[in-house]
Amino acid sequence: MRRRRKKKRRGESEVTLNLAAMLDMAFQLLTFFILTFRPSPVEGDVMLRLPPPMPTVVSEKAEEAGSNEKNTSLVQGMNTLTITVLGSPNGSIHQIMFGSDTPIAGLGALDAKLRATFGDPNVAIDQVILQVGSLLSYDQLMQVIDVCTRQKLPSGDRLSKLSLVEAPQ
Amino acid sequence: MSGTLSSENRAEPNLTPLLDMVFQLITFFMLVVNFKTAALDLNLRLPVVGSARPVESLAGDLLVLNIDKEGTLKVYNNPIKGMDIPAFIAGEAQASLLAARRNNPKIQPGDDLPTTVIVRADKETPFKLLNRVVSSCQKNGFRNFSLKALNRKQEP
Repeated sequence: MRRRRKKKRRGESEVTLNLAAMLDMAFQLLTFFILTFRPSPVEGDVMLRLPPPMPTVVSEKAEEAGSNEKNTSLVQGMNTLTITVLGSPNGSIHQIMFGSDTPIAGLGALDAKLRATFGDPNVAIDQVILQVGSLLSYDQLMQVIDVCTRQKLPSGDRLSKLSLVEAPQ
Repeated sequence: MSGTLSSENRAEPNLTPLLDMVFQLITFFMLVVNFKTAALDLNLRLPVVGSARPVESLAGDLLVLNIDKEGTLKVYNNPIKGMDIPAFIAGEAQASLLAARRNNPKIQPGDDLPTTVIVRADKETPFKLLNRVVSSCQKNGFRNFSLKALNRKQEP
């Protein structure tokens, strides 16, 4: 298409917009956004379903476990496992107990023990109660939770049912 | 000193490209502005957990709780001290229940609430102080928790 050029008529004044005011306002907006800009940190989530702590031994389940002659493990037949993690005054891990009386050397050993436990298809555990010492720091607690949530249940699902309870002094 | 220029010699810069660029910058900042950060206390030092992954879409209502190492709860930068925490959580649970009733009118007080509690605690917070908040949430029916952590160490 041919463009038609408008001929300037002689004597007609050119209309020019004064952009300076708009530019001032735009710069003010820009300054506001730059000053209030705070990029949000990339944070990870550990998603948990935290039911309130329930008694570890349900009487019917315990009877079931006791009636099974092949069951030599204390935790078998019960659907809850208790792990006790005590902290030292500086917040680090002082002691880990698996079940009621098995001391664990560290997080690596805990991981191995949990793997062995959940690798047994006869184990019906689907919930872990973490009995945590009052001094343990959140950082160390998250390391323990990390080890727990990495475990796969015999059903194939990841362990996500945890309960936190404060260990008695 | 220079005198006033006559109308023939006046230099008028073309401000249109400058204005275009400024508007583009404004558009950029408007798009990346994230109002969610207002709920976060960015002074907290989160623990580093390798397996923590960002969850893009957390379903339902969210309750963001920032807990510093002294155990003070901060919600939108308003500090809530120890004795006031249970009352605050109870109020939030009530609000969550009312919001949940819009989708599920059968939900009753004491039922599990669909709200996800996002816990952002300083890595040095002792468990005793953290548990005070978490157990208060549990008592009021919150069951879904998201514990925030970094998946790699941040540069200071």
